[in-house]
Amino acid sequence: MAELLKEQEETQKWGMVIDMDICSGCQACVTACSMENNVPFVGEDEMAYGRGLQWMRIRRYWEGEYPEVTPTHQPMLCQQCGSAPCEPVCPTFASVHSQEEQINVQVYNRCIGTRYCANNCPFSARVFNWFDYETPAPMNSYLNPDVSVRRRGIMEKCTFCVQRIVHGRQQAAAEGREVEDGDIVPACAQACPTDAIVFGDLSDPESKVSKMSRSDRAFKELEELGTQPKVIYLKGGKSYGG
Amino acid sequence: MKPNVPWWQRGSIRISIVLVLLILVGGAGVGIYYTQAPPEQPIPFPHNFHVGIGAECMYCHTGAATGPSAGLPTTNKCWGCHQQLEPRNENLKLVASFAENEESIPWVPVALQPDFVKFNHQPHITAGVSCETCHGDVASMTVAEPQPRHNMGWCLDCHQKMSTPEDFVRLSDCATCHY
Ligand code: HEC
Ligand code: HEC
Ligand code: HEC
Ligand code: HEC
Ligand code: HEC
Repeated sequence: MAELLKEQEETQKWGMVIDMDICSGCQACVTACSMENNVPFVGEDEMAYGRGLQWMRIRRYWEGEYPEVTPTHQPMLCQQCGSAPCEPVCPTFASVHSQEEQINVQVYNRCIGTRYCANNCPFSARVFNWFDYETPAPMNSYLNPDVSVRRRGIMEKCTFCVQRIVHGRQQAAAEGREVEDGDIVPACAQACPTDAIVFGDLSDPESKVSKMSRSDRAFKELEELGTQPKVIYLKGGKSYGG
Repeated sequence: MKPNVPWWQRGSIRISIVLVLLILVGGAGVGIYYTQAPPEQPIPFPHNFHVGIGAECMYCHTGAATGPSAGLPTTNKCWGCHQQLEPRNENLKLVASFAENEESIPWVPVALQPDFVKFNHQPHITAGVSCETCHGDVASMTVAEPQPRHNMGWCLDCHQKMSTPEDFVRLSDCATCHY
């Protein structure tokens, strides 16, 4: 087991830190994510049916006993597990682990929509395209050409903006250098007004994200399941720091 | 009295079977032909001619060395040379009319991958893969011709041949081409 954990440590690459102390729950990341990744906005009714399409969502929950309740929130997205429950259950190998980037990739053209993966995801991070949603003009001109437009019947989820990762890697290779910390920024981190979301390379101990992940406030969601999430939350509650 | 022949020896049945087969084979043949034949272009642009007079591929397809898509030349680029040439035939007159109306020429795509494939010219050109390896001998074609069997196996075969096993992990990663 210890060996296994050590191997997991060594193979990890991209990771994200979300500081819940400064996250204000403004949903800018949710919007930016949908714009970057051609995720359609499905509207209120579909959302109520539980067919919402959001790769990133702000979970709201209540803390305390009635009547002393306070709402809190937490951004939730695919945790890019090192040992992902969604991968072994896919009958078509559409949900696979990227050896190069150490993230979970969803190969849309391989996916036939059995939804096993979503049912096995402890974070409910995967969303299913129940319908083809029309993007009303002029928003159809905003579609990102670097990301495939998915059809209905396909499972999708946060990719850590893999198009930006690949672009950053190719850009660095073209300039004959290594990818540097801060070269690659996913849409959510870019849009975050308080810089609560930080993205980077966990295998580099000097990167910003590695340093933050060593904070004593750091924890991983459902860590006891042993899925090795790559998203690290910094505990909030406004009781830490100044 | 009716002659006693088995049904499969009757002339009418045999003729109809042959007809059905002909239609199927013919249809398949036409189908295959249309997917392999170059599509009709607004102007039959002769590559052989232009490459023959010394124009570099990258003079017209400027993006190939620097970005994902190679790009097609603007009408202005044609006009740069053709303004000085006498429009002596129909095709040259077409070029002139597009240029004078300041319209872009609606070229029909030939080399095309599906939407879910993210191809990038730049790393290939940097690695020294020549245009001919993938697009055929364009220098001797009149209009650009589609190349057969440009499927995933073709990409991966070459990636395996041209890289070390360590690099092949990256070059065969689904996330490199599909997202
Ligand atoms: C004078 C400008 C010019 C030069 C030089 C030129 N091309 Fe082209 N090329 C064009 C135009 C215009 C088209 C669009 C018409 C067509 O597809 O036949 C085109 C189309 C193509 C296509 C098909 C692209 C598509 O629409 O999918 C390929 C591939 C191509 N060229 C490769 C080459 C290569 C390789 C060379 C060098 C040997 C070259 N070209 C040189 C102008 C040029
Ligand atoms: C490794 C193989 C490969 C090489 C080398 C290559 N191409 Fe391409 N080219 C492709 C593929 C694949 C596509 C289809 C891309 C797509 O649809 O996304 C394409 C598309 C094109 C197109 C039309 C679409 C576009 O990108 O604008 C042109 C023009 C073109 N190539 C020109 C060139 C020229 C000029 C060179 C040499 C400098 C070259 N290519 C080298 C594989 C190659
Ligand atoms: C480098 C200069 C140059 C550029 C750029 C150029 N051409 Fe030409 N093209 C020529 C020359 C020279 C001829 C020969 C004219 C003649 O024979 O009178 C020619 C001939 C042609 C012909 C006629 C061939 C025939 O005899 O039927 C066509 C069609 C043509 N060009 C289209 C184009 C188009 C379209 C573009 C823009 C994508 C273009 N050319 C860009 C130099 C150029
Ligand atoms: C003739 C050989 C050849 C063919 C065919 C070929 N490639 Fe490549 N490809 C290469 C080489 C060489 C490299 C550069 C390797 C490197 O960067 O280490 C490369 C690199 C790449 C990269 C960049 C990898 C990175 O670091 O992000 C992508 C993406 C890519 N190829 C996609 C494709 C796709 C898609 C196809 C098929 C449509 C294809 N290639 C066909 C030879 C080829
Ligand atoms: C080097 C680039 C490259 C890599 C790496 C790659 N593919 Fe592909 N893939 C392609 C190309 C190009 C096509 C389109 C083939 C065609 O048009 O016939 C394709 C087509 C497919 C298709 C067929 C879709 C259809 O509707 O026909 C599936 C499924 C697929 N890829 C899955 C995968 C999986 C799973 C992986 C990772 C193990 C992967 N691919 C890695 C280039 C790549």
